[in-house]
Amino acid sequence: MSRPGDYRLVNGTVIDHLPVGSAARAMDLLGLPREGPVTVGINVPSPSQGRKDIVRVEGLFLEKHELDRLALLGPSITVSIVRGGKVASKTVLDVPQRLVDMIPCRNPTCITNAEPVVTVFVREGERPYRFRCAYCERIARVAKT
Amino acid sequence: MSADQHAAQAFHGRSVVSAADFTKAEVLALLEAARQFDRFDPGGPAWGGLAPTLSGRVLGTLFFEPSTRTRLSFESAMLRLGGSVLGFADARISSLSKGESLVDTIQVVEGYCDAIVLRHPSEGAARLAAETARIPVINGGDGSNQHPTQTFLDLYTIREAAGRLDGLKVGFMGDLRYGRTVHSLTEALLHFDVELKFIGPENLRLPRDLRDHLRRHGRSGLEVENLQDAGDLDVLYMTRIQKERFPDPMDYERIRNAYRVDRAALAPFGPDLKVLHPLPRVNEVAPDVDSLPGALYFRQTRNGVTVRMALLHLLLGGALPLEGGA
Repeated sequence: MSRPGDYRLVNGTVIDHLPVGSAARAMDLLGLPREGPVTVGINVPSPSQGRKDIVRVEGLFLEKHELDRLALLGPSITVSIVRGGKVASKTVLDVPQRLVDMIPCRNPTCITNAEPVVTVFVREGERPYRFRCAYCERIARVAKT
Repeated sequence: MSADQHAAQAFHGRSVVSAADFTKAEVLALLEAARQFDRFDPGGPAWGGLAPTLSGRVLGTLFFEPSTRTRLSFESAMLRLGGSVLGFADARISSLSKGESLVDTIQVVEGYCDAIVLRHPSEGAARLAAETARIPVINGGDGSNQHPTQTFLDLYTIREAAGRLDGLKVGFMGDLRYGRTVHSLTEALLHFDVELKFIGPENLRLPRDLRDHLRRHGRSGLEVENLQDAGDLDVLYMTRIQKERFPDPMDYERIRNAYRVDRAALAPFGPDLKVLHPLPRVNEVAPDVDSLPGALYFRQTRNGVTVRMALLHLLLGGALPLEGGA
């Protein structure tokens, strides 16, 4: 008889190496749970980063814009696609060069907060990355990237 | 076609949102074009001989915030090139007061003119307008963000007065934190071999973003609180310290008197010091400075017309050199 947490992924996605404390944020970003089962590990021991969070979702295959959002949560998040119970692919998420319609500008006098405009932020420098609003040119402090 | 002419041609049909959007070659091409227009300054050697290169063209001036120098100098530049001007100088008389969006306003106005000058209280408004319009949009100031034509005329004034840009020691004094002219000119000066110095109170230091930007370029510059600690200077760029930046009026009074210059304060820098100020001034530059040969702030306002003439000429497809040669 299986115990809670023993659910074995057959076809779905494993989001691994999330920084500790970010699993709930990842689920929120992805609108989880949807239809399939979700198992979540929090503060799990990790040889590479000490502790980590992990989210496994049955029946979910992420779109590019969802991967881009996840990438903002941490520097070395991996996404594995599981098919037939085996890992079919594994990718380390890269932070996108441009964030389009992903985060609001925190400058209250930015035009994006006054007009119906899609926000655009452009990545600058090295990790931890900073993103500059393409309109008001202020830096948005996107944490943990 | 020479490299200068090629760079000048890069302005044709282009919007001017931020000085940082332009390469060094393009900036220098604009300054060179302005030099050619300078001959036609009132009282200059060619006054009255300027061909109406923009005859039949219309400039829309959309000023959602008050402006004296920027609006009038753009209008003067357009009129002197034979063009016409329409627009408003007060958002209350525009459809914005009825709730119309900026994007809609731009799409309406672009049908009436060949180029638009926009001043707007929201940062990024000019970028949005430029994305929306099919004609060139010139940023006449977007909130505390950018004011590129002020930067171009500042560069022009310094080069005209000092004969060069490379090799200068340039000090900025006053409100370094909120002064958009300081930020924009500082960035533009990174194109040149200029030593930067910043003189201001601790609470009005350069914003962190800009300090980081300068550091990445290896050009952090000297930061001091007192003018006498700045060392040698070729150029002193003054700014107004705004009262609304200080919650305590007593602090404001103390600071504004500490960052005021008069003849006596400038004497140690010698007679060649160039003093610039984007104006309007309150008390930060004493009237006794006005008669110094290096007091350039009123020259800046006149150069504002010259530089904006050159810019409009290039944006709307004018050729260089001007008729009659440089």
